[in-house]
Amino acid sequence: MRAVADSDWGCPTPLEDIAGEIAIVGVGESAHTRASGRSPKEIAAEAVERALADAGLPPSAIDGLMYAPFMGGQFDAAAFHAYFGTSHDLWVSERGGGMVWAGTAPYDAALAIRAGQARYVLNVFSVAWATQRAEMVGGPGQVHAEDLVKQNIEVPFGWFPQPVYFATIARRHMHEFGTTAAQLGAIAVACRRHATLTPAAVMHDRPLTLADYLASPPLVDPFRKEDCCLISDGGGAYVMTSVARARDLRQPLIEVAGVGLGNSYTGTYWSQQGAFTSTPQVFAAPGAFAMAGLTPADVDVLTLYDPFTIVALMQIEDMGFCRKGEGGAFVEGTALHFDGGVLPYNTHGGMLSHAYVLGIAHVVETVRQVRGEAAAQVSDAEVGVYGGYTGPQASTLILRRR
Amino acid sequence: MRQDFPLPDVTWEPAREFWAGASRSEVLIPRCTACGAYAWYPVARCRRCGEARFAWTRMSGRGRLFSWVVVHRAFLPAFAAKVPFVAALVALDEEPAVRLATNLVDCVPEALDFDMPVRAVFRPLRFPGVEREVMAPMFVPAEG
Repeated sequence: MRAVADSDWGCPTPLEDIAGEIAIVGVGESAHTRASGRSPKEIAAEAVERALADAGLPPSAIDGLMYAPFMGGQFDAAAFHAYFGTSHDLWVSERGGGMVWAGTAPYDAALAIRAGQARYVLNVFSVAWATQRAEMVGGPGQVHAEDLVKQNIEVPFGWFPQPVYFATIARRHMHEFGTTAAQLGAIAVACRRHATLTPAAVMHDRPLTLADYLASPPLVDPFRKEDCCLISDGGGAYVMTSVARARDLRQPLIEVAGVGLGNSYTGTYWSQQGAFTSTPQVFAAPGAFAMAGLTPADVDVLTLYDPFTIVALMQIEDMGFCRKGEGGAFVEGTALHFDGGVLPYNTHGGMLSHAYVLGIAHVVETVRQVRGEAAAQVSDAEVGVYGGYTGPQASTLILRRR
Repeated sequence: MRQDFPLPDVTWEPAREFWAGASRSEVLIPRCTACGAYAWYPVARCRRCGEARFAWTRMSGRGRLFSWVVVHRAFLPAFAAKVPFVAALVALDEEPAVRLATNLVDCVPEALDFDMPVRAVFRPLRFPGVEREVMAPMFVPAEG
């Protein structure tokens, strides 16, 4: 299964073959908003309710719950039962949520379903970071500020937080491969165009042209604010079950065709990563494609965890959609647009323009695309891929309509 | 968070020698006593051979500008008076895989270039409302 060898900076995680075992049978999102004053649990409940309605399943049918406890305030088993007034046993996994886990949760769910530990597994994730930022508590930079290594040898120099890390990577990518601001801008413009076609997107009413992008002042040069994701409140959820059970449910059959997971040995210490302008997708994507029996050329729609334009560009290269270093030229113009682009990408707007819900909405969007019900629908999309990312890890999730 | 954040805690053991060295205008990096590999960031065991003992080793203070950004937005209030400033990664000459997060000072950002030679200078880190200051290795463009 492992198509990529270990290297000096990272390695794949070997995964069992789960191709075609399970399906995603229901998806839901909360409202995506600026500061809402709501808690992550309240937001998650809205998404979960919608995912269950989409699947046509009652809360009592859900016997597995995946979430990300380290994020705090998440929709855990107690929250599930409190919200729905249920008390049945739940198989619970802490390897769910957003980011990388939005892509790997189907793998863990497949193993649990195979083992008979659960039949209908819910993965849920939500954030209230816009609300928290307004109240000056928490947010995406906090975990990095609290890391003692960063606190003592990075932060004092202002090499902090994420926009600084990734602008530094972007500049090096520009040097190594000739990537230009206009090429990064093409990614931002594609996302924004898709957001303007997606009523639920936070930036649905804010069009962006490449000229607008280039005229925008530097935030962390070479980044403009348009290179950086939103901060918003929102959440999402999806329901998984065996392919056999999925056939009896209401939605088109969207099977999990492949999953891959890759690791970077230097974790979130990006400054020390040997392959400075790469992501662990190098180690994740080949395994997922091998499991699915597909290649990047088979992909009809791609969603990528996109905290910054450069993270999308690097993943596009590292997943094999083009050669390393050619991502800039690859994404130019309308290459990523849903209607006629060579690689329709983040068709809901991504974290740059849809919502900063850390990838869970990307999986929801990918399912909707391969069902054929997305707002900016790619014509006859059958194979959809989500690329998840945290820095230490990257994941690839391949979905296929059957 | 500490009262004096974002100053470094110079008593934090894994980087204590780094900051002690900086106070004497020296760049010190831990080096494995068994295999000689540089270990940056500080780790409990050598990534190459597993050895747990390291010797803090004085470096020349010379390096190459690996990459940099010009920070225009103060993400922490403590940096509000510093923007715009250059935050950078410098690859040290003795082991380019060791990259220091640092600041480029006394330079024109437009004149910076990839892999240009730089040398360490030692400047105080000062933040508003924090009485203490800490000497830190920053870098300036150097003659090739």
